[in-house]
Amino acid sequence: MIHEDMICPFCGCLCDDLVIETEGSEVVRVDNACTLGSHKLMNAGKHRLKAPIMRDGGAWRDASYEEAMEYTAGILLDADRPLLYGWSSTQGEAQGAGVSMAELLGGVIDSTTSVCHGPSILAIQEVGHPGCTLGQVKNRADLIVYWGCNPTEAHPRHMSRYTTYADGYFLENAFRDRKLIIVDVRKTETGSIADEFMQVKPGGDYAVLSALRAIVRGREDVVPPTVAGVTKEQLLRVAALCKEAKFGALFFGVGLTMSPGKYKNVRNAIELVDDLNRYTKWTLTPLRGHYNVYGSNEVFTWMTGYPYAVDFSRQIAFYNPGETTAVDILARQECDAALIVASDPGAHFPKKCLEHLASIPSVLIDPMHTMTTPLVRCQIPVAVTGMDASGTAYRMDGVPIHVKKFLDLGYPTDTEIITKIFEKVTEVRHP
Amino acid sequence: MKARFNTGRTSAQGQGLEAKARPEYMAATSICMMNPVDLMDLELEEGERVLVRGPAGEVVLTAVQNEGVPQGTVYVPMGPYANAVIDAGTHATGMPDYKSCTVDLEPTDDEVKRPAELMEAVGGLAYLGDEE
Ligand code: SF4
Repeated sequence: MIHEDMICPFCGCLCDDLVIETEGSEVVRVDNACTLGSHKLMNAGKHRLKAPIMRDGGAWRDASYEEAMEYTAGILLDADRPLLYGWSSTQGEAQGAGVSMAELLGGVIDSTTSVCHGPSILAIQEVGHPGCTLGQVKNRADLIVYWGCNPTEAHPRHMSRYTTYADGYFLENAFRDRKLIIVDVRKTETGSIADEFMQVKPGGDYAVLSALRAIVRGREDVVPPTVAGVTKEQLLRVAALCKEAKFGALFFGVGLTMSPGKYKNVRNAIELVDDLNRYTKWTLTPLRGHYNVYGSNEVFTWMTGYPYAVDFSRQIAFYNPGETTAVDILARQECDAALIVASDPGAHFPKKCLEHLASIPSVLIDPMHTMTTPLVRCQIPVAVTGMDASGTAYRMDGVPIHVKKFLDLGYPTDTEIITKIFEKVTEVRHP
Repeated sequence: MKARFNTGRTSAQGQGLEAKARPEYMAATSICMMNPVDLMDLELEEGERVLVRGPAGEVVLTAVQNEGVPQGTVYVPMGPYANAVIDAGTHATGMPDYKSCTVDLEPTDDEVKRPAELMEAVGGLAYLGDEE
């Protein structure tokens, strides 16, 4: 069977033009997706955990959904400071149920944002977000900057759908009329096709952004001959290109948020865009990784006022990244139970955090066997949103998209499982 | 040799995400991408193993030559191997120093551990139910 106009549930581009062919319950062909998206869709059906599993002394055994959900509700109810972490590769509906449960439990809910674009949000809270939709970029932008990111590997269709290789309504010959500037600490494949490749010494982004801001504001006299490995000539060329553009779009990745300076780097980038807006039109967009990590920020914000790392232990929503973020809570050995949903801290958190996670009662809700599986006491397999479950996901520009189901493999969805656990918790807390 | 440690996505790492128990994921995340000059300085050939010691611990990786990586820097795809050396401090931002710690490198003959072994080393229990 052929399914047209399907949505790719992998990265924040949420490409919506996939053609997927299925035979029975198998995906046999995926058209239009990049290698990441097609790998996910071709393989996600094959590597599922068959049923819930639980640890029994020194071994694993199969369990029923009912037993696994009872166990989950039990450890969350017993905990003084439960951590509910993950939420980026699931539907907005499940995220909402998670927030309600965290509130009722007096726990902490955090998404993978804290280890990807959390610092971008901190910067946006300080100085605002000059953003726009990807459709605006595609149709209008004649200068694209990718800073500290590598779309070729992490968002492979970003350039063909929205920037360099995309036709634009207001550009005669989009490929020729659009210029490309790449800023990175290493020369990646993306760098080799750029009009300007600016190689920054590791940790030098803040200084380079400051130098560009000085030039844009007419103070090139204060800029030394090289800044973090970039020559003044190149800085002047790049600043001139930025000022000459009709519509510039700056995209940035974790190269800014994870490097020294963290959110201050992003703040400086936003302020550069602000400076450039005195001359011409400029926008800035974080390249979001997981297909619905942006959704977790949206859902948490409508429900609590804060985008991630929300702590309900004071009976009101409290937010303080560095204190209420998952890595810090685990490293300080603060939480005494954990529910991990649709994410893999086992693969992506520092070792010290994993040591604590492995020592407390914890449950993983995830379709596959992941690096987190060995660290938890129980795993509940669920459907993959965008494959055997429908739901809402937010694209990296904040546009909500209905992600569609095209298979039925008999698994419950994240929303169903979390809602049922929430009901069990409610029966005890609010009988 | 001292080097600056950097981690991030690669497409091979991204392709392995749906089947982390498979050897492809281990192969994609247990490499240490280095400048050819650094490789030479360490008297290592591509494919040989290197011991990386960071603020939180050490890990054995396979050395891979990559001209795009500047001298004095190593790039390890994000995953359990990179995280074996990264410290959990976040300087009050929630974000660990994934791209800015300093590591020590030396050649080694030790084997690269399997991901399940890494998880057992932090107190986990490997699940072998669906490994092929
Ligand atoms: S670019 Fe992202 S959303 Fe688009 S097909 Fe690739 S992985 Fe999927």
